[in-house]
Amino acid sequence: MLQTSNYSLVLLIQLALLTYDLFVNSFSELLRAAPVVQLVLFIIQDIAILFNVIIVLLMLFNTYVFRVGLVSLLLERFRSLLLLSGLYLALSIALHCWILNLRWLNSNHFVWTDGLETLFVFQRLAAVLYYYLYKRATEYLGDPRLYEDSPWLRDAFTRARQ
Amino acid sequence: MDNETITRTRPRKVDQSPQRGPRTLPPMPSQYTDEMPITKTKKKKSKKGANGVEDREEPGVEMGGLGSRRQSETKQPLTPEPQDIPPQRKKKKKKVQNPDVEGEPAGQPELVNDDGVEQHTDGEEVPRKTKKKKKVKPPEMPYPDELGVEDDDIITDAQAPIPQHSLFSAPLSQSQPVGKVFVERNRRFQAADRSDLAKPSDQVDDLMEMKPLWTTRDVAMRVHGGFRVVGLFSHGFLAGYAVWNIIVVYVLAGEKLSNLPNLLQQYHPLAYPAQCLLYLLLAVSTVSAFDRVNLAESSMALRAFLTLDPAALASFMYFAALILSLSQQMTSDRINLYPSSNETLWPPGLEHQILQPWIVVNLVVALLVGLAWVFISTRPEMDYTEEFLMAMEVEEYPRQDKAEISA
Repeated sequence: MLQTSNYSLVLLIQLALLTYDLFVNSFSELLRAAPVVQLVLFIIQDIAILFNVIIVLLMLFNTYVFRVGLVSLLLERFRSLLLLSGLYLALSIALHCWILNLRWLNSNHFVWTDGLETLFVFQRLAAVLYYYLYKRATEYLGDPRLYEDSPWLRDAFTRARQ
Repeated sequence: MDNETITRTRPRKVDQSPQRGPRTLPPMPSQYTDEMPITKTKKKKSKKGANGVEDREEPGVEMGGLGSRRQSETKQPLTPEPQDIPPQRKKKKKKVQNPDVEGEPAGQPELVNDDGVEQHTDGEEVPRKTKKKKKVKPPEMPYPDELGVEDDDIITDAQAPIPQHSLFSAPLSQSQPVGKVFVERNRRFQAADRSDLAKPSDQVDDLMEMKPLWTTRDVAMRVHGGFRVVGLFSHGFLAGYAVWNIIVVYVLAGEKLSNLPNLLQQYHPLAYPAQCLLYLLLAVSTVSAFDRVNLAESSMALRAFLTLDPAALASFMYFAALILSLSQQMTSDRINLYPSSNETLWPPGLEHQILQPWIVVNLVVALLVGLAWVFISTRPEMDYTEEFLMAMEVEEYPRQDKAEISA
């Protein structure tokens, strides 16, 4: 059974990482005076996304549903989050590489092209969807039914066997 | 517990047999004062034996003896442990003596004399045997388990300490630490005072009442509620900020956008921070609006969109505003770099061509955000994700209760 204190701590870490991600997405363009600062911010952001995905995966592995073997039940709930997290991580890394590559020598000049702006828009939109799905997933992972044997789980198990 | 106490007390009883007489002595005072009650009870027993009870006694000496002993324990203030062995001895003796009793009622003095050696228990137990053998035997046989349960527990524990401590405090306190009771809590046996036995149950009840307040689901609900408050603040702040932003732009641009160089000159330090703040507020508001619609549940979200639910309309507006706002990132950066690269980015005469779409998009964003805020404000308490969590919670507890009942 998942302890409330452990869940609160994990939830706090996840929300802190999400907040940092939102902060970097919002204000990284303002902090571009020194390219190194932006580089560090982007590296930490990508690691934060990776950490968040790892934490969610560990929480999924920790569930009783996963131990029973009903991975499909978990995937049904969290598939969109996992797919979008991967997509968002890829988009973020691509955008960060592109922008830093353009601004590394001269950070304060106009670098925008149509391709970069398209990537930028998709990365920021994926970020918003990622925030929504991740926050929702963290809240749903507090469901006590995922961590203990219950008639609900037995019903799901029998349905899965059929 | 019983086994342990038995194994402890046995050697004492064998070695210190003269001491055990006084140890089990709550009936003793009657024997010390005069022996007449003993003989009376023996006579009663012999009378009943003469009335034909002997035939029942032989098989019943063990079974009924145990049963009667249990009841004597339940009614007497004696502790069960030290008494376990002496009655068995007497029963063995009685087994030997019973044929004599059967054969001749004159065996009474022998019984009295034998009991005189171990006066203490028989003085009280023997009459009880005779009384309860008739009454208790038939109901005992079909329900041995119930009596076995009664044997261990409450009544003897509650009554035992009183006479023992009052009569023989020093030796009894050593052999019988009656102040402690081992209670099973959290899958372990823990020592507890008998006087506190009532309190832990209250504490357990309190814990059972407190526990649902701090489940993981409640933490999730609290976080969700907290973010909804932040989102509600963000909706209003974003609407006001967008309206303020577009008003400032139009004021600086002059009448019919006639004074665009002034706008660029005045607004360029504000353009990029305004864009970043707009993205931050739009992201928070969009996530909050998606939470209200419960967008991840596609069927529920689609139904909300088709029924023109205010939250669904608001989330759509926020998402559209987000896309439009992000699409102007390039222009915002161009305005931001107005003083540094004036010649290349802002060729003379092209300000109107570049700035007009940006102003229109900002106007549309402001309208969308304002409308979404109005829609959200009509029903600020509506939150389908929270209802979904609550529904899951309500759905779960009856099932758990059923599981507990079945277990």
